[in-house]
Amino acid sequence: MPVYVDISRCIGCRSCEVACKRVHGGKGHVNVHMVGDHASVPIFCHHCEEATCTMACYTGALYKDAERTAFDVEKCTGCGLCQLACPFGVVWSDKIAHKCDLCAGRETPTCIISCPANALSTDFALASSRARARAAMAVARGR
Amino acid sequence: MLVPTVCPYCGAGCQFFVSVEKERATGIEYMPEHPASEGALCSKGNAALEILYHPDRLQHPLKRKGDGWAKISWKEALELTARGLGGALKRFGPECVGFLSSSKCTNEENYLIEKMARCLGSKNIDNCARLCHSPSVVGLNRTLGAAGMTNPISDIANSKCIFIIGSNLAENHAILSRWIHRARDSGAVVIVADPRMTHTAWMADIFLQLKPGTDVALLCGMAHVIIKEGLVDSEYIGKWTRGYEGLVESVLDYTPEKVSEITGIPAGDIVRAARAYAISPASSILYSMGITQHSTGTDNVQAIANLALICGQLGRQGTGVMPLRGQNNVQGACDMGALAEFYPGYRRADDPETARFFSCAWGVDLPVGRGLTATEMVDAAARGKIRAMYIAGEDPANSDPSSSYTRDSLEKLDFLVVQDIFMTATAQLADVVLPASAWAEKEGSYTSTERRVQWSCKAIEPPGEARSDLEIVCALANSLGLQFNYPDAASVLSEINQLVPQYGGIVRERLNGSGLVWPCPNPDHPGTPILHTQGFKLQDGRAAIVPVQYSPAAEEASWEYPFILTTGRVAVHHNAGSMTRRSPSLIEREGELFIEINAQDATKLRIADGDEVSISSQRGETTARARLTGRVKRGVVFMPFHFPGTNMLTTEATDPEAKIPEFKVSACKISRRD
Repeated sequence: MPVYVDISRCIGCRSCEVACKRVHGGKGHVNVHMVGDHASVPIFCHHCEEATCTMACYTGALYKDAERTAFDVEKCTGCGLCQLACPFGVVWSDKIAHKCDLCAGRETPTCIISCPANALSTDFALASSRARARAAMAVARGR
Repeated sequence: MLVPTVCPYCGAGCQFFVSVEKERATGIEYMPEHPASEGALCSKGNAALEILYHPDRLQHPLKRKGDGWAKISWKEALELTARGLGGALKRFGPECVGFLSSSKCTNEENYLIEKMARCLGSKNIDNCARLCHSPSVVGLNRTLGAAGMTNPISDIANSKCIFIIGSNLAENHAILSRWIHRARDSGAVVIVADPRMTHTAWMADIFLQLKPGTDVALLCGMAHVIIKEGLVDSEYIGKWTRGYEGLVESVLDYTPEKVSEITGIPAGDIVRAARAYAISPASSILYSMGITQHSTGTDNVQAIANLALICGQLGRQGTGVMPLRGQNNVQGACDMGALAEFYPGYRRADDPETARFFSCAWGVDLPVGRGLTATEMVDAAARGKIRAMYIAGEDPANSDPSSSYTRDSLEKLDFLVVQDIFMTATAQLADVVLPASAWAEKEGSYTSTERRVQWSCKAIEPPGEARSDLEIVCALANSLGLQFNYPDAASVLSEINQLVPQYGGIVRERLNGSGLVWPCPNPDHPGTPILHTQGFKLQDGRAAIVPVQYSPAAEEASWEYPFILTTGRVAVHHNAGSMTRRSPSLIEREGELFIEINAQDATKLRIADGDEVSISSQRGETTARARLTGRVKRGVVFMPFHFPGTNMLTTEATDPEAKIPEFKVSACKISRRD
């Protein structure tokens, strides 16, 4: 259950970055990238099914907890192998590893509620169902 | 403990809870039940708590001592201020004293500041609405009879065509984008007109990239197409408007081809946009400072109102004219009469009846006539006509155009008192600085851009000896010989209930939760989310169509200054930046002044991305980091105004009626610094 992004809605306001940072003691896990003049893309942890960060982690600090790729700070040695292993660059190490924990202890991840544009959700199908609705509308109106 | 507060940044009116533990604000909790934000917050809102405990917070009253500052007691500060302002009142007369109220302060505080100014005999009271939406106040009052968003923010979702002109709401009023996306999901067409390909333009189906300062031409051109193709709503025009014939004649010359020549927009796009707006069953127009901050600001606003009126796109769900206000209480500051030309409730200051009414209510003789505006006060200070000023929560030294002129003018004052939470550039020029409270340290009501009056509760105590603005104003008024005995904000609000008809029913007890939308004339009234459903508050209930003509911006590109500089905002900063530049998670995301320049122009000037460049205009010079981009067309450059340098360059040319400076169009030249 990672956070899914509807790229067509992202407005590059960086609310998710600041909100994430706020609830994680000043260390955020989201990065919004401005791509050219036309788009912004927030990059999140994918909570991969076969998470390379957990494979690289020799102490078991990073581990799979059902759909979530979880992190046990007690076991982290700060070696940084997870950072090298992550193909998306969303795990990073600064004394200890930092990564998205889907806001453990909160009902909904903070970034999702905070997003002013409703671009984020935990519903994988949402972005595509919105796209279908828009396409249907365009067909109906003939443009 | 969770304390509900209204966000201190833009005018969208988002609320959030401040969580308080052991009398300290420790975190933010969202408010999903909020009608405008549904719990969302932009980056600034998320970082709001960072300023509360900032080491730069003013904690003691200060007086100027040589080149530095000396801490003084409140007693001494009030005595000095009373002597400074009182002395000027006595020696030079009340017309030589100026008051700037704050669009960051509550309705109650704004009411008291304007009351203090007027009770002391001064007509010179204004607030920074002068710099953002004074043309809306003038233009919309004249055409529609009410200045404010006509429809609620959430109603944008019901729109079938959303025309956004001169507003980068994706960055500046971010929560509006969720409603626009929702409308798009139901098939709405989005039109964005802006000289820059902004984040807002990403949402557009039709993007009109016009030359800065050509808005009237575009709007008249659209009206031309709509009239020529018979897309007007004749029934609506006949029933609810006057002056249509004049408009038909005035837009005759604005053919798409001619408008295309003036604005730089392809003629076909103008026609497409005009048709989309006119034929949709519910169209709304959203605009902001890209419309108002021009020497033709009032004309721009009137041209917008004309378009809405001839298409009958008012008074129903999903329609409307929506000026998006920039400060959390700039709507309220205007409603409360902290304006040179209006008393509370938009009663005209030059109407003797107004003065009589408030004289009776306040028990003093009041001056009749319009006072000096914020920008005129600065001019008057330069000429020695204004000798003393009281400035609360505003930073004209940074936010006014032509900064060095503004600073020189303020330095000429015999006495300046500034009431703020930080030592701003303006406070640096003061004789006495009074430490005030941030939003979470006081209570009171704020009016958001959708006319929603909401109560913000006090979460924590102000730092050190800082006091709430309400306490400071009362103490100051009393030391100047007035009788301001208000124990709390609620007692001020009950006086407002008596004197401002729109706020008649907006009593403290009804303001818990998401508040009330004015006009709300009596305690049983539910509020009025949509205006103009049954005509207009003007003669015969009809709106006035006021023809306007395009005239070029005051400054054009020249051989010496070949670029047109337009200014605006970015997502992580707010206005003059005294708060956001002190907020670590915001300043680390946008740390310095930059200038967006078209990559082709930059190449000709041998400027590479990231180069430090110097920019100069007739008023001054500043440096910034170059960002090469395709967002602006050739010949146009963009700078955000959150950093002190930008307004060194901007022009003092103002709109003749609303007196707003033309921040959006200044000629400048650029060169690499090395």
